[in-house]
Amino acid sequence: MPRKAKEEKEKFEEKAVKKVTKTVKSSKEKVEKTSKSKKAPIISKEEKESKKTAKTKTKADKPKASKTTTKTKKSTKKASTKTKVAKTSSVSKEEKVNTISGEKFEIAEYYDLPYRYNQTVVKLLYQTPTTLFIYWDISVEDSEKLKEKYGEDFFEKTRPVLIVHNETKGYSFEVEINDFANCWYLNVKDSKCNYKIELGRRPFEVTYQGEVTSVKTTPKINTNYIPITSSNTIESPNDHVLLEKAQEMLYFRNVKTNTVTSKNIATLTYLKSIGKIYQVNELYKKFYNEEILDYSKGGFSNPSSGGLSSSSFK
Amino acid sequence: MNKNPKGYVSFVLHAHLPFIHHPESDDYLEEQWLFEAISETYIPLLRNYKKLVDEKVDFRITMSMTPPLLWMLDNKLLQKKYIHYLNEHIELCEKEVKRTVYDSRLNELSKYYLNRYSDDLHLFKDVFKCDLISAFKHFQDIGVLEIITCGATHGFFPILFVNEKTVKAQIAVGVQTYKKYFGKQPRGIWLPECGYVPEADKYLKEFGIEYAIVESHGILYADPTPVYGTFAPIVSPGGLIAFGRDMESSRQVWSSINGYPGDYNYREFYRDIGYEADYDYIKPYIAHDGVRVNTGIKYYRITGKTDQKDYYNLQWAQDSINMQTGHFFDSRVKQINEVAPYMDHPPIILCPYDAELYGHWWYEGPDWLYTLFKKIHYDDCNFALITPSEYIDKYPNIQICSPCRSSWGANGYNEVWLNPSNDYVHRHLHKAGDRMVELAHLFPNEQDKLKRFALNQCARELLLAQSSDWLFIITNNTMVDYAKKRIKDHIGRFTKLYEEIKRDKIDEKYLNEIYKKDKIFDDIDYMIYY
Repeated sequence: MPRKAKEEKEKFEEKAVKKVTKTVKSSKEKVEKTSKSKKAPIISKEEKESKKTAKTKTKADKPKASKTTTKTKKSTKKASTKTKVAKTSSVSKEEKVNTISGEKFEIAEYYDLPYRYNQTVVKLLYQTPTTLFIYWDISVEDSEKLKEKYGEDFFEKTRPVLIVHNETKGYSFEVEINDFANCWYLNVKDSKCNYKIELGRRPFEVTYQGEVTSVKTTPKINTNYIPITSSNTIESPNDHVLLEKAQEMLYFRNVKTNTVTSKNIATLTYLKSIGKIYQVNELYKKFYNEEILDYSKGGFSNPSSGGLSSSSFK
Repeated sequence: MNKNPKGYVSFVLHAHLPFIHHPESDDYLEEQWLFEAISETYIPLLRNYKKLVDEKVDFRITMSMTPPLLWMLDNKLLQKKYIHYLNEHIELCEKEVKRTVYDSRLNELSKYYLNRYSDDLHLFKDVFKCDLISAFKHFQDIGVLEIITCGATHGFFPILFVNEKTVKAQIAVGVQTYKKYFGKQPRGIWLPECGYVPEADKYLKEFGIEYAIVESHGILYADPTPVYGTFAPIVSPGGLIAFGRDMESSRQVWSSINGYPGDYNYREFYRDIGYEADYDYIKPYIAHDGVRVNTGIKYYRITGKTDQKDYYNLQWAQDSINMQTGHFFDSRVKQINEVAPYMDHPPIILCPYDAELYGHWWYEGPDWLYTLFKKIHYDDCNFALITPSEYIDKYPNIQICSPCRSSWGANGYNEVWLNPSNDYVHRHLHKAGDRMVELAHLFPNEQDKLKRFALNQCARELLLAQSSDWLFIITNNTMVDYAKKRIKDHIGRFTKLYEEIKRDKIDEKYLNEIYKKDKIFDDIDYMIYY
């Protein structure tokens, strides 16, 4: 059995929440700039007269690639927009529409996100207190170096793994991933801990009835683990009231004078107060749960950022 | 208002829209979000603030006005387009008044809308002179409104912070924009999506921010546990004061089960003549490609759990407002009576909401606030309204705790902005952030005018790509294509410029065009990424 970096540490049955196999997502959305025929009975209106124009341009949620390409002619000089001259242009792809701005844009723009940046990277984010999100990539140069060192068939003879280090509690565990994925969600059991991830590769192993019978190595791969790169360190958020962290002293800062004073929590009023305040909050929690039930019904409908958010305006 | 209150209530309205500006076309429906928000939220709020001041009602309210919103409100083209929008609405309302003569109740409502949009036009053009920012600033200057800032483009700190410089830039440009429009230093910030990470503290301090608003568990799960829960602010070891949302009061407003906006007498959002009127009749007033959209003219009330909706009745809606504000008022009195005896200082109950909830989604919201504030002023009351700044000035002795990493999104952390529908975006945002820092170091204090212009435009494109709104829209599955396009456009423009700058081959014409499209942060200095 291949040994991992910190094998003496306990190993957890990791659960990959989801494997994301990325395809070149954006290419699907690719629009041919030219193929789009743009008929446009463009009748610009006089603002006052308010005869509505029947514009036949693509609506907002259609790909706009073609839009800008239609505006390549100088046929409309800056309209001083106060009073627009009603003008009927012939149906032409090249014709420029009178916009309220009257501004002319000649450069057609169309972009796609690159599939990758040819950079060796592992980036670690937290999604929730107990779910981490990792994305990674290996540059062509680094791949070549690995092949040089371990043989042309290095990537066929090895599989990628993520080694998760909990730096706060001092344990590590390993997750097997695959070469079709470039990101991963990962459940961890400890909130409010520092995590760091290592991307590496291990030779394939042959198992028989759960037992490792042999490890497929090549003469050049004479180790059972090849580290590639490490991620940033992040702290996962806390997810509960830290009542267990009772402290004797409470510290207060006067934000005007910057003087710090302390009070002993053992004084009766404080004990009483913390009990009362958090009892009230327990009560809120009941309400909160009610809301959480709501989430499942209406998708994301948190008290604030849900359906009734400025972000979802419209 | 009580001069010697047992506690305080603080309303914070977060006014934000993503930057949407399309001089190249009049067909982007998304531009209308701004116009709807002006007519349904911003002008109604201003109208009610003025009424309260005129009636000598002592009140306090806090609003965050985000940099993209400020830049849009200040944009001449968008102002012109808003006037165009109002003219279209007035014209439609005039037709409606004629069309609805057969039914007196309906006819009355159509006249109400005609008045309302005509009044908006009068206020916007003649009274505010198209300058809503100054109108809000006026209320800040006379001391009833505290305006706070936000991240430059509402970038979500808990995901951006792996490159801290990008968080720093969000804060720096947020503060810079605030100073430009309000002529002073902001004291508070609305963290985009209430996304708190301790890594941002030092930058918030560096740019003079004293306090931030966080979600309830940002306080309740803090380390060590704050003795007063969300009833008092805490101060982080890094020196940032955090106010947490009160759960009980927000639940009363937000709950989808029995929240105030669901009252049967309130206006039904989903019954709009844009969807219901005869197609040929309504066609000129809906999307240019003929797709039906909301017009804002809605004739029905929620009525109940039925599809048989009854006509909206303004007086009945006001009756419900009166009842609900009474309930809200009594609940706060009771809450403060329960908690105050256990505290050294009077408790503060912080009620943060999206501003656009008030008016846009909850049509009666601005009048609800007006009615509540009058009640607090005139009735016998154990609490007073306050702004977070005033509270800090009165009670500067604050417990030191590290707030919990948190946000106000569903389930309280990062899921809304990081999930399988939108996770592909982050590597691009991070990469562009790294490249921006690289550019700043490759070309520090660039003297060449064109190159400097390009470097600054890179900073604008990066910031626009980082807007949390695009991620939210993708998660929410509405207008997804627009959001994805915006991410591609800004990352695409950034990348093209990045390469041109490094190759020293800047396409000036291209640069000028995208500068006109992404017309925001005129005065930005890319050296914030240094």
